[in-house]
Amino acid sequence: MKVFNLDIIPWKDTQLIYHALAYNNIESLVLHSPKDSYVSLGLHQNPLDELDIKFCNKKNIRVFRREIGGGTVLLDHNQIFYNLILHRNNPMVPYAPETFFRKFLQPIIQTYHELGIKVKYQPLCDLVVNNKKISGNGGGEIGECKVLGGSILIDFDYKIMTQIVNLIDCLKDKFLELMYNNLTTVRKELGYIPATDEIRSTIISKFEEILGPLKEEKIDKKLITKMKQLDEKYSSNEWMYQRGTKQLWREIKIREGVYLINKTFDMKKGLIKITCEINENKVSKVIFSSKFTTDCSCQQKIKDKITGMEYESDNLLNIIQQIIQNCEGDIVG
Amino acid sequence: MILLVKINGMDFPLDRKYYIKNGAHIWLKQEKDVIKIGLDAFATQIAGPIDFIYAKKGQVKSNEVIGSFESTKFVSKLHSPINGEIITINTKVVNQPKSISNKPYDSWIVEIKPDNPNINGKYILEEKEKITIWILNEIKRLKNNK
Repeated sequence: MKVFNLDIIPWKDTQLIYHALAYNNIESLVLHSPKDSYVSLGLHQNPLDELDIKFCNKKNIRVFRREIGGGTVLLDHNQIFYNLILHRNNPMVPYAPETFFRKFLQPIIQTYHELGIKVKYQPLCDLVVNNKKISGNGGGEIGECKVLGGSILIDFDYKIMTQIVNLIDCLKDKFLELMYNNLTTVRKELGYIPATDEIRSTIISKFEEILGPLKEEKIDKKLITKMKQLDEKYSSNEWMYQRGTKQLWREIKIREGVYLINKTFDMKKGLIKITCEINENKVSKVIFSSKFTTDCSCQQKIKDKITGMEYESDNLLNIIQQIIQNCEGDIVG
Repeated sequence: MILLVKINGMDFPLDRKYYIKNGAHIWLKQEKDVIKIGLDAFATQIAGPIDFIYAKKGQVKSNEVIGSFESTKFVSKLHSPINGEIITINTKVVNQPKSISNKPYDSWIVEIKPDNPNINGKYILEEKEKITIWILNEIKRLKNNK
């Protein structure tokens, strides 16, 4: 099997390379960091919902919608990205997604352990230390391969992340606070930044323990051709704004169990946005935002009813809609 | 009453066929001149709750990717079992993808107008014995690949 130990490369190549390897059926491990900051969205996310596009354009932060799953991530040179590409018929590849993550995140867990950070696997695909996320992951099928993608957070720009996310201004501070409390980095845990080439070497040796010897490779012409071909597809508006499921709630994940969710309700008097802070999968705070004076007793009823409730998107939505209906006598959507 | 194969708590109704190429777990059900397709109980059980689904309309060839679904942060592709034209996407299911996990056989994803109304082939199963052997092999594969 091959390993592409690439260090810092142009931002778009960090995405194109693993897609091209998968489509070319080249089983491999890829390690890299982007030269410039950019945002990557999961396959089923839409940039118009997720991002403050104006801010991204102003700051020249590019956007890429990948073919694998997971949420919105900000990528920069302070993170080491890993992609594992394996053919779906490789007997090492587990059938079930959860088993796939659990198995192939072991080398990453061991790498953190070598650094002295006692991370553990938190299903579905987070790695956490002291209840704080230190690595986010996603996966999926590309061509005939199954692909794992994730990062080792060496350092992280919390403030820029807050600004790129499509969130009303009054919630940006809350988002920042939640990230500070639930997201950590290698620098925060160790107090310094270790040599990234050594971290990459450790990742390779830990993967070799389950995959066998990995042979260092360089990007060749065939791969460049495939990357160029895919670039045309991924750069198109048709690809970028492809729509599928529209979530019942707009969900911003900080780590497993911790989210900010919001939805706009269309009432007789106008629009009202309800934002819920979810902690350990329960509603811990309810925030209302509206450009007009709303029925305060209705807000209070919603707050009283859903605070402390388990986060189950359909149920939460039904309960709020029911309360609004009772208060207003009508709800449009 | 619909006859079914029941294995490990999973139902496989025999009022439809199953497309199995490359680990696909897609059911096909003919209704007049269209074929409805969806995910079977095995697919939904190993995937876990489905959060997102996407499918596209238009002409398709057998085994061509026609969409995708996401569960547990993992994206799986949907493949067409037949040649034809996707004429309808079930927006109710697309907007409430968890219904697939709850009721896989009531949650059709797309309707295909087949090029050939005779839906058969190497990778399409409809006999009880063949479906049983296929599922038992899939369970074995699931247990072995950890």
